[in-house]
Amino acid sequence: MAWSRKSAMFAALAIALYLLGLVLRNTQLVTVAVVLLSFLTWAAFRTSHADVAASGRRVDDADSDEGIQLHTISALRRVSSVRIFEDGEIDVTLRIQNRSNLSKVLEVRDRVPEVMRIKKGANYVLMELGPQRETEISYTIETPLRGFYTIGPVCIRVQDAFGLFHNEREIHLYDDFLVFPKMEDIKDAMIKSRVPKIFTGAVNIRNPGEGSNFYNLREYVPGDPMKKVNWNATARSAGKMMVNEFERDAVSDIILIVDSRSIAETGPVSRNSLVYSTRAAASLSQYFLSRRDSVGLVTYGDEIVSVDRDTGKKQLYVLLTKLAGAMAKGNTPLKVVTDRIMPHINRGSPVIIMSPLEDDPTVVNAVRDLRSRNFDVTILSPSSLEFEFDARRLDRTGYEVLKTERDILLSELRGLGANVMDWEPDMLLNTALTGARGF
Amino acid sequence: MADDNAAEDGVSDTAHLYEGKTVSSAPPSRRKAAGRLKSNSEIPKDAIPEVHVPTIVESIFGGPVVNTTKFLPPDRMVASLQMGSAGALLILCLLTFMVTPVSGTAWFALSNMLGMKTLGGVLHLIIILGGLIGGLYGIFQRDQRALLASYTLLILVTLRFAGSKVDFGIDFLPEGEIYQKMLLLLYAVFLVMYMELTSGIIRFSMLDTSIRTGEVYVMQVTKITSRYHKSLLITPVIAASVAGLTLLINLIIPAFVGIFDDVSAMRLRESVELTSVYGVALGTVMVFTVIAAMFAVNLPLRIQQMRERDA
Repeated sequence: MAWSRKSAMFAALAIALYLLGLVLRNTQLVTVAVVLLSFLTWAAFRTSHADVAASGRRVDDADSDEGIQLHTISALRRVSSVRIFEDGEIDVTLRIQNRSNLSKVLEVRDRVPEVMRIKKGANYVLMELGPQRETEISYTIETPLRGFYTIGPVCIRVQDAFGLFHNEREIHLYDDFLVFPKMEDIKDAMIKSRVPKIFTGAVNIRNPGEGSNFYNLREYVPGDPMKKVNWNATARSAGKMMVNEFERDAVSDIILIVDSRSIAETGPVSRNSLVYSTRAAASLSQYFLSRRDSVGLVTYGDEIVSVDRDTGKKQLYVLLTKLAGAMAKGNTPLKVVTDRIMPHINRGSPVIIMSPLEDDPTVVNAVRDLRSRNFDVTILSPSSLEFEFDARRLDRTGYEVLKTERDILLSELRGLGANVMDWEPDMLLNTALTGARGF
Repeated sequence: MADDNAAEDGVSDTAHLYEGKTVSSAPPSRRKAAGRLKSNSEIPKDAIPEVHVPTIVESIFGGPVVNTTKFLPPDRMVASLQMGSAGALLILCLLTFMVTPVSGTAWFALSNMLGMKTLGGVLHLIIILGGLIGGLYGIFQRDQRALLASYTLLILVTLRFAGSKVDFGIDFLPEGEIYQKMLLLLYAVFLVMYMELTSGIIRFSMLDTSIRTGEVYVMQVTKITSRYHKSLLITPVIAASVAGLTLLINLIIPAFVGIFDDVSAMRLRESVELTSVYGVALGTVMVFTVIAAMFAVNLPLRIQQMRERDA
C-alpha cells in the first residue's frame, strides 16, 4: 500500500498538531489530530488490496480463457498493426478481466510511449468492474516519429475513495511495434549508374542490353555481331536482316549513407537532420528498389551498421527497419565509413550521403576519395543550422557565421565533383534531389 | 525571418515546436554558445528540460498552488461538493467560534499588553472570518491558495496556551464532560471533513476536466461518485467513534477497573492526569496500539480474502 502526497501531508499535520497540542496542553488541537489520524487509519484499512495477476497475454496468443492463470485481475491486449509508417495510426484494444467474486473500482492505465498521441479513446480508464466480469478499452494512437516502441505495462491501481492510499500493480503485458520513417513519392531521382554492374543480377531491368533473356527483334544495324542475327526471322521478313535483342541483366548498386552521429539530432525532436535523413533514405530506397536497383545502406554513429545490397520488397523492409532503429550516438568520422565500404562496392555506383556535415573534419577527404575512385557522389545535407535557428536556439550572428562556414564547405565539396544540396527545412525531398543533381 | 527568430535576452522558447507533448530534450546547442562569442562552455538554458518538482504546499492538493489549471465549469458532482463544503465551512466556523476561547492566544496577550482587552476578541473574530471568507472564495473559485489560507487560519485560531481543562469560547455551553467532548469531536470532524471536501472539489474538478478533454475515460460515473458519497458519510462516523474512544478514555478505564475495584476506579476518575490532555494522549496510545496490532496481523487483507471467499 502506497501513501499519496495528500495522506502524507495529512499524517504530518496530524502528528504536528498532536505534539503541539501536548506541549500547549490544548485539547482542541489534540482532538483534531486524533480525528485526522482516525480518518487516515480508516482509509488505510478500507483500501483494498490490488491483487492482480503478474502476467498478461496478448489476445491473439490466448488459446482460451481457461489456459490463462489469473488471480483476480488480468489484461489482454490486441494491436491493429506492429509495423507502421510515421503519422500512421494503431488501434489498441485492452481487455480487462475481473476473476474475483467482488466488484472492484480500478484505475487502469495502459502505458503508451511518450511521443505518441492518443487520437481517439483513452488509455486511462476509471471503472467499476463487477465480479467475474470483463470489459474492453479501445483507443487509437498516432505515431509521429520513427523508432521501436513498446506499449505496456498495464498499470492497475486500486485507491480509496478519498485518494489517500493506493495499491498499484503492473501487469507485464507488452506489445512492440515499429514505426518506419515516412516516405515521399519521388518520381525521378535523376540518379543512374554510369557503370553497369559487373556481375549479372538476378533481376532484369527491362532495358535492352547485354543479357541472356530475349527482349525484342530489331533490324540489323552495322556493327551488330553476326551471332545475334535471327535467321528464321530474317527469312520471314522479306530480305530485311533481323537481330535478337536481349534484356540488360545489370542493375545499379545504390549505396545510401546516413549520418546518425549525436550531432545529427541537433534541433527539435521532430525536426532535425536525422529525422530528415531517415525519411530521405526511406524514400530513396523505395524508389530505387521499385526500379529494381540494388540498394545498400550504411548508418554510422557510435558504430557502423551496414545492410548489404539487395533488391526486392524484402530488402525495403530490412532497410526501413534499420532506419527506424537509427539512434543518434557517437561521432564516427565519414572517412572511416568510406574507407570501410569502398573495397566492397562497385566503382561508379551512386553513393548518396545524408549528413548535416558538421563536426567532421574528414568529410572533404572522404568525398575526395570517393570521387577519385569514380563514385557518383550525391550529398543531401539537411541544415541543422536552420533547425536551430527556427527553434530560436541560435542567434543571428552565430547563424550568419556558421552559415558562411557551411557554404564554404559545400562549395569545396561541389568542387570535388559531388552533387551537393543544402537541404533546408520544409523543402521537399524531390526538390532537394533535383537541386543536388543540377537539373 | 531572422529578426523574428532572434533570441531575446538570452531566453528562447521552443515550446511551440513540441505541440504540447512531453518530449526529451535535444542535445545542447553548441552553436548558440558559439554564436554569442562567449568563452565559457555553459549549457544554454533552453537546452535543459524543465522539470517541475512539486513543493510541499502543492503536495497537499496534488497540484500547483498557483492556479494554473483551467477548470471547466463545475459539473453536478463538483457543484454539490461545493455546496457541501460551504455548508461544512459555515458550521465549522460557528463551532470554532464556540470551542476556541480568546484567552491564552497570542493576540489576547498582545491586546492585554496594549491595554485594549476587546482587541483580542476582535482579532479572534477577524481570524475566524478570514478563514470563512477565504474558504468560501476558494470553494467557489476552486482556488487552492485561498483554501490553504483558510485551513491555516482555522487551525491558527485554536493555537493557544491552555490549562488541561477544556475551555470554550462561549460561556453558556454545556458543562458536562461528555457533552463538551462531543462538541470538541464535532468541531474536529467538521474541520477534517472541510479539508477533505475542499480537496475533493479540486480532485473531482481535475478529473472532470480530464474526462471532458478525453484524457481519462470513466465507466459508470454514478457508481464511482456514489462510492465517494458513501465514504463521506461513513468515514466521519468511524473517525469520530475512534477519536471518541481516545477522548473518553478517562471514563472507560475507571469503568473497566471498577469491575474489579471500586476504590481504584474512584481514584482514577478523580485523577487530574487522566482527565487532562495527557489522558487523551494515553487513550491515543491505547487505541492506536490496538489498530497497529490489526495492521501487524494484516487484518485488512484477511478481511478482504474472507469477503472474496464468502461472496
